[in-house]
Amino acid sequence: MSIRQSILFRVRIAFLLLLLVCGAIVARILYLQTITGDRWRKKAKDSGLAFRSVTAMRGNILASDGSLLATSTMFYQLAIDPTVADDETFNKGIDSLAMLLAKKFGKKSAKEIKTELVLARQEKRRYKQLVEEPITYQQRNMALTFPILREGKRKGGLILEKTQERLRPFGDLAKRTIGFVQEDTGGLVRGRGLEYSYQNQLSGTNGEAIYQRIAGGAWKPIGDGEQIRPEDGLDIVTTIDIHLQEVVDKTLRQALIQHQADYGCAILMEVQTGEIKAIVNLGKENGQYVENNNYAVGDMGLSEPGSTFKIATMAALLEETNINLADTVQTGNGKYKFAETAEMTDVKEGGYGKISVKEIFEKSSNIGVSKMVFKYFREKPAKFYEYLEKFQLTKPLGFQMSGEASPLIKKPTDKSWSSTSLPWMSVGYELRLAPIHTLAFCNALANEGKFMQPLIVKATMKGDKIIDRFSSKVLANNIVSEKTLRTLRTLMEGVVENGTATNIKTKEYKIAGKTGTAEKVEKGVYIEKHYTSFVGYFPSNQPKYSCIVVIDNPKTASQYGALVAAPVFKEIADFAYRSYLMNNEFKKTVVNPRPPLIRAGYQADIQLLGNELGFRVESKTESEWSFGRVRTDSLLLAENKVFNSLVPNVTGMSLRDALFLLENRGLSVAFLGKGKVTHQSVRPGTKIIKGTRIVLTLGN
Amino acid sequence: MESRRASLVAQIDWLTVTLVGVLVLAGWLNIFAVVYAPDMKKEIWDLSLRSGKQMLWIVLACAIVFFILVLDVKIYHTFAYPLYGVTLVLLVAVIIFGREIQGSKSWFDLGFMRFQPAELAKYATALALARYLSEGTKKLTKLTDLLPALLIIFVPALIIKLQNETGSALVFAAFLVVLYKEGLSDYIMLAGVILVALFITTLFLPPNYVYYVTRGLMGLAVLAGVITLWQYFKRQKFSIALHTTVLLSYALVIMLSVNFFVTKVLQPHQKKRIEVFINPDADLKDGGWQVAQSKIAIGSGGLWGKGFLEGTQTKFDFVPDQSTDFIFCTIGEEHGWVGTSLVIVLFATLLLRLITLAERQKSRFSKVYGYCVVAIVLFHFMVNVGMTIGLFPVIGIPLPFFSYGGSALWSFTVLLFSMVKLDMFRRQNLVV
Repeated sequence: MSIRQSILFRVRIAFLLLLLVCGAIVARILYLQTITGDRWRKKAKDSGLAFRSVTAMRGNILASDGSLLATSTMFYQLAIDPTVADDETFNKGIDSLAMLLAKKFGKKSAKEIKTELVLARQEKRRYKQLVEEPITYQQRNMALTFPILREGKRKGGLILEKTQERLRPFGDLAKRTIGFVQEDTGGLVRGRGLEYSYQNQLSGTNGEAIYQRIAGGAWKPIGDGEQIRPEDGLDIVTTIDIHLQEVVDKTLRQALIQHQADYGCAILMEVQTGEIKAIVNLGKENGQYVENNNYAVGDMGLSEPGSTFKIATMAALLEETNINLADTVQTGNGKYKFAETAEMTDVKEGGYGKISVKEIFEKSSNIGVSKMVFKYFREKPAKFYEYLEKFQLTKPLGFQMSGEASPLIKKPTDKSWSSTSLPWMSVGYELRLAPIHTLAFCNALANEGKFMQPLIVKATMKGDKIIDRFSSKVLANNIVSEKTLRTLRTLMEGVVENGTATNIKTKEYKIAGKTGTAEKVEKGVYIEKHYTSFVGYFPSNQPKYSCIVVIDNPKTASQYGALVAAPVFKEIADFAYRSYLMNNEFKKTVVNPRPPLIRAGYQADIQLLGNELGFRVESKTESEWSFGRVRTDSLLLAENKVFNSLVPNVTGMSLRDALFLLENRGLSVAFLGKGKVTHQSVRPGTKIIKGTRIVLTLGN
Repeated sequence: MESRRASLVAQIDWLTVTLVGVLVLAGWLNIFAVVYAPDMKKEIWDLSLRSGKQMLWIVLACAIVFFILVLDVKIYHTFAYPLYGVTLVLLVAVIIFGREIQGSKSWFDLGFMRFQPAELAKYATALALARYLSEGTKKLTKLTDLLPALLIIFVPALIIKLQNETGSALVFAAFLVVLYKEGLSDYIMLAGVILVALFITTLFLPPNYVYYVTRGLMGLAVLAGVITLWQYFKRQKFSIALHTTVLLSYALVIMLSVNFFVTKVLQPHQKKRIEVFINPDADLKDGGWQVAQSKIAIGSGGLWGKGFLEGTQTKFDFVPDQSTDFIFCTIGEEHGWVGTSLVIVLFATLLLRLITLAERQKSRFSKVYGYCVVAIVLFHFMVNVGMTIGLFPVIGIPLPFFSYGGSALWSFTVLLFSMVKLDMFRRQNLVV
C-alpha cells in the first residue's frame, strides 16, 4: 500500500465512521420516537406531568340590589414537598414549624407532625399535606411566615393549591332557587336552580396548569401556578328583592308551622315587568321547613289547582258567551250529578240555591261554574281547550330556570277525556299546573291582558360591566278582550270584598284574587287532604304586584284557601305595599326616580347602579371608595379615604364591599345580621394588625 | 488593494459559514423554547432570559469572527506553542484560584462572566499538535516521534481530569483519530477499538457471564501460550499463536480491569451514570432522572413533534440542563424525528465539509488542524446527542453551536473560524 493509498484509505474510514455515527443516532431516535414512542408519550402523560385544569372563580349570584345570594371564596390547600429544603433549613425549622402547625391548626400534636415530616423526607416523598382542611386567605398569609414554608416553593418546598367554596351569605333564604351544582368524576354536571341553569355563565372557563404526578396518584402543581389563566365566571343579577324575599319567607314559614302543612310556596311578581321579586319554597324535612324542592316552578309543585282555575274558566265563558254577571244559575242543594258516579258538590251545606254569576265566582260555587261550562261548551269542548291555549296555560312558559314543569291539560281528543272531564276541569281538577303558571296567568289579567314571561335573571355581569341583559318576553298580548278583562277584575275584587276571602280585606288598598282549595287524589280517590292556595294582585286599581301562595295539606281545621293561604298573601301584600307603594302612589311612567340611599360603597358600582336605575349620581371625588348622601333627586358621592395600613370606614357599605376591603387588609371578619353595615367593632383609622378580628353589625 | 480584499472574501468557505449560522440560529430558537412559559410576557430577546443573553453571545461571536478574519493568518502557526504554554499555566492556575461550580474546579470567575480554560485547551492543543506534526518529517510509527505527540494531547487532558472535568478531558481522546489519520500504527488503533468495544461489552454483561468468559479466555490464553512456547522450543514459525496469546491476554486484562475501574477509579456520580446507562430504568429518581426525562421528551415528540413552544417536558424544565447539555431533546420533543434528523444532517454536512476543507490544504499544519477541528466537533456532537438518547453515558459536554453559553459558543467559533481563515490561504505553505 502506497502512502497515498494509505491516507486515502484512512480518510475514507473517517467518512465512514462519521456516517455510521450519524446513522446510528438517526436510527436510535427513530426507535425512540416511533417504535417505543407510545410508551414515552404515555410516560410523559402518566408519570411525568400533564396539563390539568385550574378551576375558574365561579361568578356570584346577586339579588337585585347587589346583595350576594351566592358567592365563592378562595381557600388554600397547604402542603409541602419535604425533600426540597436543604438539611440546614429543614433541621433548624422543623421543630418550630411542627409546633406552629399544631398550635394554629391543631389537629395533630407537634410531635406527630414532626415525625411525619421527617419520615416523609427520608422516604423522599414529594407531597405531604400540612393541614387537612383548606385554609383561608388569612391563614395562608400566616402560614407563609412559618419556618421552612417562608423559604418559598423552590427553597422550602411550599405547595399551595387554591380551592374555592360556595357560600350563601343569606343561609337558607331562596336556597332552592339559588340551587346548586355537582360535578361527578366524569365531568357531568348535575344540579338545580339558578346555579345549574346558569352553569355556563357562572362557571367561567377553566385554565390549565402543569402538574406533576406524585406518589399515591396525587398531583402537585409545578411552576408558578396557572399557565393558561382561567377566565372567571360571570355574575348573574337576579330580580330577587332581598327584603321582600325575607318577609315572604318568614310569613310563609310561620303559616306552615301553624298549619303543620306538608309544604308551601309563594311567588311575588312585578306586574308590568314579570320580574320575580321573591320566590320561596319550603318543604318539611325532619320537622323543619327548609328550601328543599322547587314547588313553585318544578314538577314537585305540579298539582290540581282547584278553584283558582275558575279565573280561566270564567274568562273562557265571558269570551265565548254574552252572560251577564247578574244572570242567575240554579246551584240547588249543593250536590249535582253530571253522571251516575260523578257528583259535583259545593262547600256550603245545603247549597247556595239560585245565585248570580258574580256570586258563583265570589263564593266559588263548583256547581255554578261547572254547570255554565257544561251548558256552553258541552257541544264544543275543543273550543274550551282553545281558550286555555290562548290563555297560555297549555304549554310551559319557557322560564329561565331549568326544570320548569309542563302543564298537564287534557284535549278532547285524548283517550283520557271523558264526558265529565269538562265540568271537572272547569273547577280545576283533572289538570295540573305549577303555581308559577297560575300566577303568570293572573298577572296577565292585572297587566291589561299582556302575558309576561316570568323573569328571574335580569343580567349577567363581569366585574362592573354588564355583559347580557335579559328582559321578560311578552308571550301574548290581549289574552282576553277589554270587556272580559274589566269583568274578571271586578269578579276578583269581589272575592275579597264580598266572597271567600273577606278575611283579608283591608282599607289601605284593594286586593283582587281568588282562593283555591283542591281535594287531593291518592290512589285515584279524592281524599280529605287539601291543596290550598290564593292567587291575586294588588293594589287592584293600579296593579303593581301579583302573588300566589300555596300551602299543601294543612293539618288544622281550616283547610280552605281563604283561611290558610290568603292571610299569608295579605301579610306579603301589606309589607310590599308599605315598603314600596305607600306615600308613593305608583306611577306608570317614572321620571327621575329618587335614588336609593346608598351610604357608602365602591364608586364604580354606585355609578353603575345610577345608570341602571336611572337616578343621578353626582360625584365630587375620584377615589374608588365613597360615601353617599341623597339630595332631592340625586346621590352625592364624597371621598372615602382608604389606606392599606389603616382600618377603613365600612359603615353604610354592603357586606360584599366591606368584606372585600377588610379581608384584603388581612382582617378576620365576622358579621351579625343582614343588610348594610351599621357598626364596625374596630374603629376606622386604627392601625391594622393582620389577623385582628373585626365584627360588623348589619342592619337597615 | 480593493480587488485583493474582494478576492479574499471570495475565498471564505461560505458553505461552512452558512451551516454554522443556521445551527446557531436554530440553537437560539430552541433555547427560547426551553425558557418559554405560556404565561410569560417576555420576548425572545429579553436580556433576563437565556435566549436574550445567548443573542448577546451570538453578536459578540460575530465580532470574534471579524477579528479572526482580519488578523494575519501566520499567527496560528507562530503562536501555537506559546498559546499552548499559557494554556497549561491557566489549567493549573484554575485548580488553585478557580471557583468550584457543581463539584468541578474549572472556572475563573471574572465577575462579568465566567471563563473555563479547558475550552481554550482544546484549541491550543489542536494548534500545538498541528505545529508539532507539520515540522520536519514526523513518522508516528516511530516511538520517538509519537511520544511527544501523545504528551501534547494528554498533559492538558490529565490536568483537566484533575479539575474534575472528566467530560472535557475525554474530548482529548478525539485527537487520537487525528493521529491515526496522520499515520499512527493500525495496531494501536485496533488496540484502542478493542479496548472500547470490550469495555462496553463487559459493562453490559451480567457479572456471572463475565466470570465465565474471563475464565474461558484465561484457559484459551494459557493454551495459546503453551503452543507458542512449544513452537519456540521446536523453533517453528510461531507468529499466529503468539499473536493469539497477546490478543487474548490483552482482552483478559481489559475485562478484569473493568470492575476495578468502575468501583475504584470512578467517582460515585460517574459510577451512577454508568449504572444508569447500563440499566436505564433502575433509578428513575436521581441519577436516571435526567436521561429518562430526556428520553420522554424525545420519545413523546413522535415523527413531527409537538410544535414550537408546545413541548410540555421542555416548557417545564423537566430535563435538567436543558438549555445547555440537553438542548437536543428540545428539538426531539418539539420538532420530532424530522427536526432531529434535519439537525443531524446539518451536522453531518458541516463535518463532511470540514473534512473536505482539511483535505484541500496545501500545508500540513492546516491539514492537521483541520482534522483536529473535525475530531473535536464530531466527538462533542456524537457524545452529546448520544447521551440525550441513551446511547452514551451522561458526559457533560455541550452540543457545538447549539447549547446555551457564551464560553462554549465562543470557543467553537474560534476553533472553527480559525480553520476558515486557514482555508482562505489554503494554497500557501504557511510554515515559513
